[in-house]
Amino acid sequence: MFSMSSTSPLSIVFLTAGFTVGFGHCIGMCGPIAVSLSLNMKGNNRILPHLLYNVGRVITYTILGALMGLTGSFTGLTAHMAGLQKGIMIFAGMIILVMGAAMAGWLKIGPIFGDYASPSGLFSRGFYRLSRAGSATTYLPLGLLLGLLPCGPVYTALIAAARSGMEAPSPLAGAVNGASVMACFGIGTIPALFLVAKLADLGWLKARQTFYRFGGFLMVLVGAYFVYKGIRY
Amino acid sequence: MNLNSYFSNRTFLFSFTSMGVFPTIFVLFLFFTLMCPIIHAAGSDETGAINCNIQESACTQSLGDGTVTLDIFPKPVKAMADLTFELILSGLTLTTAPYIDLGMPGMKMGPNHVLMKPSDQKHTYTGTGIIVRCPSGRTIWKADVTLPGVGSVEYVFDVIY
Repeated sequence: MFSMSSTSPLSIVFLTAGFTVGFGHCIGMCGPIAVSLSLNMKGNNRILPHLLYNVGRVITYTILGALMGLTGSFTGLTAHMAGLQKGIMIFAGMIILVMGAAMAGWLKIGPIFGDYASPSGLFSRGFYRLSRAGSATTYLPLGLLLGLLPCGPVYTALIAAARSGMEAPSPLAGAVNGASVMACFGIGTIPALFLVAKLADLGWLKARQTFYRFGGFLMVLVGAYFVYKGIRY
Repeated sequence: MNLNSYFSNRTFLFSFTSMGVFPTIFVLFLFFTLMCPIIHAAGSDETGAINCNIQESACTQSLGDGTVTLDIFPKPVKAMADLTFELILSGLTLTTAPYIDLGMPGMKMGPNHVLMKPSDQKHTYTGTGIIVRCPSGRTIWKADVTLPGVGSVEYVFDVIY
């Protein structure tokens, strides 16, 4: 019914592609977000937040894949998404920038994503409420949102999802095919980002203020870069 | 201090490991991971690698005893838009249809195949595809044209975002 026999090989192709692209592209382009989240985590349970963040990303990819498969059109949907993606890129940049500034000690708001975060001020409280890690489940909506970040390999996978929809016998089958392709792609990207996040999650680094602040300074730079790119996107 | 006692000092070795090599590697990791988008965008001057001015005209390359001409429509060639790819072969005979792999030089973008079909005109193949946009701002793309059983040629060109 869903022509899964023709889509399954495509899903496997994109599972593999997600894995290789994850190590070849995502670490470079989305790694800063994973590292930023890691550096700001202060709680004991630091695996669950990363897991939830990645699950959120994969859910967003799957929904986008279903929409692509349903409509069978890549350009039609991405044209409508462009404005939203621009906003999300700026938002991601601002999160990284504020987290970095807090880590570097330039903003006296404490760790935004940490269990011990104690924000003061409207702006800080807004970020704190948005991404409070006292309950790690906050990382799921963060992943859902940041899954919409503009990304070349995600676009490439979405093209395949749209094509699988065009070749499907019905719109519903197309949606399932598209979702399958994107879910596999997203799952494939998890190991790379998870590895980077865990590498940046070493406790001894956070105990050393110099390195911690250095990381914060880099985060401010990359956050500003994301905002700049988002404005220009 | 002689060399023996120098290296038998466990405290020193511990401090060397935890404060010297390891942090250096870690800081480098942190630096390159966080700075990668900026480094990647800064190193985007690849104009020397461009071998095709696809915005102006079709591009022809030699392959074996013949030539392969690539053209992309509509012009200007823009990212995130439906594009028609056209291949014109000269002096080459194919038994299987050619295909094009779209990608970015030096950056993995995932499999983006354009399947070509014979058109009404002799030795001409057409197919539809999309060049995606990279948020890094890099606009240099490449099309690897594969002619099964014959070989492949690479066209590197600039697209408009």
